Amino acid sequence: MPVNPFARRVANRGWSPRTRRHFLTGLAFISLWIVGFFAFTLYPMVASLYYSFTEYHIRQPSEWIGLLNYTELFQDPLFWKSLYNTAYMVVFGVPLSLLISFICALLLNIKTPGQSIYRVIYFLPAIVPVVASTLLWLWILNPNSGLLNTLLAEVGIRGPNWTKDPFWSKPSLILLGLWGVGNTIIIYLAGLQDIPTTLIEAAQLDGANWWQRLWAVTIPLVSPITLFNLIIGVIATFQYFAQAYVLSAGISPVGSGLGAPLNSTLFYSVYLYQQGFVYLKMGYASAQAWILFLVIMVCTIFLLRSSEHWTYYEGG
Amino acid sequence: MTRVKRWRMVFVIGVILLFLVAACTPPAPPSSGEAVNEAGAGESTEPQVLRVWITWGDNPAQLQELFDRYTAATGIRVEVNSPVEDDKVIAGLSGNEPPDVLVLGGPDSVGTWAREGLVTPLDDYLATGDVDVEDIFDAPLSQCLYQGNYFCLPWGTDTYALFWNKDLFEEAGLDPDRPPQTLEELAEYAQKLTKVDENGNITQVGFIPDFSWSHLDLYTAMMGGYWYSDDGTKITFTSDPVVNALKWEQQFYCDYNAEEVLRFSSAFGGYASPDNGFYAGKIAMQVEGEWQPGPNFIQKYKPELFYGVAPLPPPADHPERANTNLVSGTVALIPAGVKDKDAAWKLLAWMQSPEILADEMVANFNLPSSGKAAQDPRFHENEKFEVFLNLMSDPNARAPILTPINAEVGTELGQIEEQVLHTCADPLPLLQAAQDKLQPELDKALSE
Repeated sequence: MPVNPFARRVANRGWSPRTRRHFLTGLAFISLWIVGFFAFTLYPMVASLYYSFTEYHIRQPSEWIGLLNYTELFQDPLFWKSLYNTAYMVVFGVPLSLLISFICALLLNIKTPGQSIYRVIYFLPAIVPVVASTLLWLWILNPNSGLLNTLLAEVGIRGPNWTKDPFWSKPSLILLGLWGVGNTIIIYLAGLQDIPTTLIEAAQLDGANWWQRLWAVTIPLVSPITLFNLIIGVIATFQYFAQAYVLSAGISPVGSGLGAPLNSTLFYSVYLYQQGFVYLKMGYASAQAWILFLVIMVCTIFLLRSSEHWTYYEGG
Repeated sequence: MTRVKRWRMVFVIGVILLFLVAACTPPAPPSSGEAVNEAGAGESTEPQVLRVWITWGDNPAQLQELFDRYTAATGIRVEVNSPVEDDKVIAGLSGNEPPDVLVLGGPDSVGTWAREGLVTPLDDYLATGDVDVEDIFDAPLSQCLYQGNYFCLPWGTDTYALFWNKDLFEEAGLDPDRPPQTLEELAEYAQKLTKVDENGNITQVGFIPDFSWSHLDLYTAMMGGYWYSDDGTKITFTSDPVVNALKWEQQFYCDYNAEEVLRFSSAFGGYASPDNGFYAGKIAMQVEGEWQPGPNFIQKYKPELFYGVAPLPPPADHPERANTNLVSGTVALIPAGVKDKDAAWKLLAWMQSPEILADEMVANFNLPSSGKAAQDPRFHENEKFEVFLNLMSDPNARAPILTPINAEVGTELGQIEEQVLHTCADPLPLLQAAQDKLQPELDKALSE
């Protein structure tokens, strides 16, 4: 008779010995993942929740301070500034990148000679490491000798001082992000190819022009893809870090400080990093992380709820 | 199910549970160094390996070669890891397997870490006489002093002086062999050396105070003070030296056109490249470090550059402040979690020995922190380097003061400097607000 309480519970579910054996074998196979999940995800998460209520500086024992980290955060102007900067990227950057990806996917879906070459070209930037592409863009955005301002000068426009002007620094980063939307394009492309040609043809027979077919058939049918890309994009943008870090702290010896110019690129994760890993205020940083978690969760739930009104599922 | 199969299943589940328990158990608390020392040091039969992490270094092979000489002398293998990223350093310091010796680009974090107990105080070790403390220059040594104890030792030291482009001086009708003698004259020269084209675009600039290293600390020292009280317990942001330093810096932006200066300077090429603003002749004067005249910088990227090096001049009404300079630079420390601290100390003491120091600093064109090492003839072959050697040993040389909130203070002052220079804001209200914010933090950190 089984002595192991876990095995007994399995037995109580009325599983056949064979099912039970398969279940346990499966468990054994994913045990490494389970260990990893507990050690590197669940335990750190629970620990950070605990530390967010403490003053904790890594090596000394943490001290319980209740909600103080949270109340301090809400009074911290830089917390709000970093939240604003991040929200800016989410509100302007994400929809823009979805729009651009969708348009690119539509173009790449057109049957034309060299189609696969175009697809490769549009996807390539997505595999360039973030640090490399950011450095490349710093060169493109150079106010005097950069490619972008040189082109603008050709048409008589004096381009801005992209990365050093607090007004333009976030648009610069959005621009940089648009360059690497290859992944989103691929997902859209897959969605576009999933649209039954019969629907398009039917619309064509009914006399719908290109625009009407796009508006009435294509866009509704890829709306679940849009929802997916939107949620992934929002979550990723809330955690925006690497590009801003390279831009402001730089990897050159003359970095100008996190968040430069004038805290306009102090994004939420950058500020969190600064509090945790530069000032060693781990408790404060943990509180920041949990607020970010809640913000992302609320946004995701909101998007999912609202999506009921604008997504269309063919089957359901 | 047969009995054998059942036991096999129990065994598998047991292993899984064991993994889970092992994964979720918090690491054992760090044991006190002394106890481990007595138990573990020297006795082991395994060949000993010491690990050195260095947060800078574009030539890891050269560093490894240097430490291989320790292996040759003692049989103890030294693994050098360079450059190590900052977040890895934090993880290393807080974990139970830190490097035996950690070399940092500057001492800024040492105060913060000392407060958290992440660093070994070195006073007892210094008392052994393994390192000749008297031989270390005062200013570099003082940057390791935190609350009356030494938490690190200076390795390569940096200090800063004024570089000027003699060709551009000649073009502007200035004597190429006479650098500005006062801070006021520097501003006048800068005006003469700045060129603006008919569209209002700057095409050459005389001096940009926060380019390329930020030097607010140096200018503040030149104005006769610092942003902490001498004992490091009070923040003195609103004192005259800080305010005057910022106002002096501000003129180089706001007397011209801050936006244009910024646009001009952000177009400069890479720091270590022929397009560096100074190498390219776009900026006539700049404050830079002792490594510039060396083989890795000007000699490499612009050997034909015709330039001079002199101490940053004092204000006209304070000639006694001549040769005021601020030293900073690499420091070496022993993390608190190191198990065999004696072995780590022996390695650190070896690193500090004059001949090793001299060889390493010659290779990188940094100033040696030891007086004996500085006598090495190789340091005296380059007259421009000599300017820095003299500055470092000058009585007016000083080091930043270490406090537990240096990082916060650095960030805050960096932001204020940016705002004052780039938007022409009035420094005083910003400094006052920052002081009001940071003084309670300093009080709290010091009281812990």
